[in-house]
Amino acid sequence: MNQWEQLARNTGTALRGAFIDPVYLWFLAVIPVIVILYLLKLRRTQVVIASTILWRKALDDLTANAPFQRLRKNLLLLLQILIALAVALALARPFFKSEGTAGQNLCVLIDRSASMQAQEAGESRLDLAKQAAIAMVNDMERGDRMMVVTFAENSEVLCELSDDRSRLRSAINAIEASDARTHLRDAYFIAESLRLTVPDLHAVVIGDGNISDLADFSPRGSGQTDSAEGQTGGITLSYLKIGGTTENVGITAFSKRDPAPGEAGEQQALVVLQNAGTEARAVTVTLSFADQPIAVEGVEIAAGEDREVVFALPDLGEGILSAVLDNDDALAVDNTAWLSLRPAAKLRVLLVARPDATSTYFLQRVLSPDPRVELSTIAPESYTPTDDYDLIVFNDFSPEQLPDGTLLFLNALPPIDGLTGEGVIENPPVISVDSEHPLMRFNLNPANVGIRAAVKASLPAGARAVVSTTGGTLIGDLSRGGQQIAWVAFDLANSNWPLNLSFPLFFQNVLAWTPRSALASESSIDAGKSITLLAQPEIAEAVVTRPDGATATVKLDPLRPTFYGDTLRAGVYAAQMGERRELFAVNLLDPNESAIRPEEALALGGAELKAERGSVRQNREVWRLLIAAALCVLALEWWIFSRRAWM
Amino acid sequence: MTSESTTCRELLSAQFLQRLEQLALTARKSQIGAAKGERKSKRKGTSVEFADYRDYVQGDDLRHVDWNIYGRLESLYLKLFHEQEDVTVHLLIDASRSMGFGTPAKIELAAKLAAAIGYIGLIGYDRVSAESFADGITHRLAPGRGRAQAPKLLSFLSGVRANGRTALEDSTKSYVLRNRAKGVAVLFSDFLDPEGFEGCLRRLQQSGSDCYAIHILSRDEIDPPIAGDLKLLDSEYAMHVEVSASPALLKRYKQNLEGFCESVRKQCLARGIGYIFAPSDEPFERLTLDVLRRGGMLR
Repeated sequence: MNQWEQLARNTGTALRGAFIDPVYLWFLAVIPVIVILYLLKLRRTQVVIASTILWRKALDDLTANAPFQRLRKNLLLLLQILIALAVALALARPFFKSEGTAGQNLCVLIDRSASMQAQEAGESRLDLAKQAAIAMVNDMERGDRMMVVTFAENSEVLCELSDDRSRLRSAINAIEASDARTHLRDAYFIAESLRLTVPDLHAVVIGDGNISDLADFSPRGSGQTDSAEGQTGGITLSYLKIGGTTENVGITAFSKRDPAPGEAGEQQALVVLQNAGTEARAVTVTLSFADQPIAVEGVEIAAGEDREVVFALPDLGEGILSAVLDNDDALAVDNTAWLSLRPAAKLRVLLVARPDATSTYFLQRVLSPDPRVELSTIAPESYTPTDDYDLIVFNDFSPEQLPDGTLLFLNALPPIDGLTGEGVIENPPVISVDSEHPLMRFNLNPANVGIRAAVKASLPAGARAVVSTTGGTLIGDLSRGGQQIAWVAFDLANSNWPLNLSFPLFFQNVLAWTPRSALASESSIDAGKSITLLAQPEIAEAVVTRPDGATATVKLDPLRPTFYGDTLRAGVYAAQMGERRELFAVNLLDPNESAIRPEEALALGGAELKAERGSVRQNREVWRLLIAAALCVLALEWWIFSRRAWM
Repeated sequence: MTSESTTCRELLSAQFLQRLEQLALTARKSQIGAAKGERKSKRKGTSVEFADYRDYVQGDDLRHVDWNIYGRLESLYLKLFHEQEDVTVHLLIDASRSMGFGTPAKIELAAKLAAAIGYIGLIGYDRVSAESFADGITHRLAPGRGRAQAPKLLSFLSGVRANGRTALEDSTKSYVLRNRAKGVAVLFSDFLDPEGFEGCLRRLQQSGSDCYAIHILSRDEIDPPIAGDLKLLDSEYAMHVEVSASPALLKRYKQNLEGFCESVRKQCLARGIGYIFAPSDEPFERLTLDVLRRGGMLR
């Protein structure tokens, strides 16, 4: 590379650093044109003639006879007004609506939920959506930027705001279908969060509009809309409808029902079918266990109706129960559902408390109704150290040594080094709540809880105050060495907390906090949600086999559950942990996704976005055109000025 | 395009002078002359051409009584005859700066034509005077008569120079006020006066003379050889026009020129003034022998 090429490259880089579109600097070439015209004007040859009378008259006549001569008289003025107009309009950054992408900054939100797998004339809706997005990339003009976000159960930014078309195309092509539900909220907030740095961001939702969180979607500042787009929360949103098929029958619920305890009866499997189409359909449901059919039932479902099918189940044991529709419709993913049948495992909870205490009554009321809990209550004097329980609740009693398992101490100081009572705090107010702590997650603020007295104690190193009062802690997390220990510093009977809604929620959190609580996890998991892998003694990793046969190795945390999140495809996931093999059923089971009829409009927090077909009408700024026009008119004005003698 | 040739040293050749001697100046009106001449006068006099009868009054010369009528009617009538007198030929030459343009210069043609007409007048026993004017009378040759005055006239016309601004009306008014003697007045001009030419023609008509207007334009004015973008400066006034040669402009100029010439012609005819158009590049002999004759000025 010679020095001139290097100089040109450096100049180009410098210009691109200062201008978004340095190519428009070519318009500077107008300046020498004006100067040349100016020079030409000065170089008019002077000739002395006998009299200019006849020439003057000829010029006057020519002007007078010319059409629009009144206008021509003031042509220069008109042109100057035009220039001023063009420049002023350019400063106002006008825009017009145009087909195609257009717009400088575009955020494309592509739906890849289960319903986007519906087939439309041999192609899936997702393919059509990708084609539409690539057409938008192709329509991009110089200086335009695009961002690609997909959304289903979760949202993902595939390509940040970029003008690199090949990168955008490959990001769009890389979008894979998922069997998950549709949640637009996260994707919307990704787009909206860019509004601070990119004020003119235009977001386009490409999909079939079957979005499950539309009902509770309330973008900030939703306002006026027109037929094509809405201003929601400051960004401009458009909706590009994909698809037109409506006929689909799918399984929207699949569960196993056990007879109530003490009630005679058999196990049942419930399959709920939904016909979202416009015609009645007859389908056959086949129930299989471990790939062996055990029951078949033909069902006719009227258009737009649901139908429940109940199968009586023999005692099946552990394995995968599946329901299959022999139905050739647009969406295949909802034609099969799976259930993982596992023995019911319950949390073993020991309550060590005086049976006659008021607080014991509250604790039993909150713990015993929970189906996940197998509660045992013993008096403190009967307590012997044991490790047979997942959770031990000590009320007004503290053992001499800490037992194994998750522990909750109520109005009793755990025997932990560094934790010593320092007196009593009278009427402690709730000052702060650590809402990030798992014990307070999704809980209400217990600010209006009245407590008569609480133990004042300084927390040992590594402990964490969950609820604090002036000079002390009301609820603390004293977990240490992998053992989870919670401490409540006051007597339940000395407060109105048991009457507060935050009380049962706290205990729900305590149960969830217990590592073994995941044992009671669902027999069916929604696609896109995590599979919980429980810690197993001396097993460091699990190998998860996905429905498509691919495997992934997951490292297990010995102290707490590990979550495996790559569950976007429905099917049976197998986790091999040492000798133990666990099966997880991941299902779509969503009436909203099975109803594949594309929505004509998106009702977004009061702003209704109507569907666009084929492409999206968007705003195109035209200030560059105006400036170019102003420069051209300026040159024309100079030319006319220099030749006005014969105009 | 222009030539400042304002001097006409050799106005008329000897051969041409000989040809001129065969021509005579036509006076369409009878005028009262200053001396006996060869033209019929308004006065009654002693020529052989009968004019009228009138009653005899005491004191009339009895030699003029028509005795034949007295014999028949027994009344005394006097027999009257036309008088023959000379006329004064006034040569008025526009010597403004615009007359110095053209090839040959318009003033040159004006001087030659004036010399020819003046010479014809002199050999026809008419009195000939000449004046040049621009924004006023610049030079003046007192009336002279007879062939002997010809060198003086030619010398005067040779010395006429184009200079100064045009003031046609003022100059004509000045001439009319000074010259009470009616005769034949010939005005040589391009009539290019910002103030117009109508006043000049009106003054000329008021002089009572038998008037002719010789309208001289140069070829550059009739068919302007302009091209490109020009700034045209007026030779007399501090005025200019900026033009860019275009077919439309040239067409419009020629239309205006034709209109201008037609306007001068019509004004002249309306005021009984003979109008003769003379391009400066037209051969002088042809102008004199053909155009002026057909214009009724010479015979």
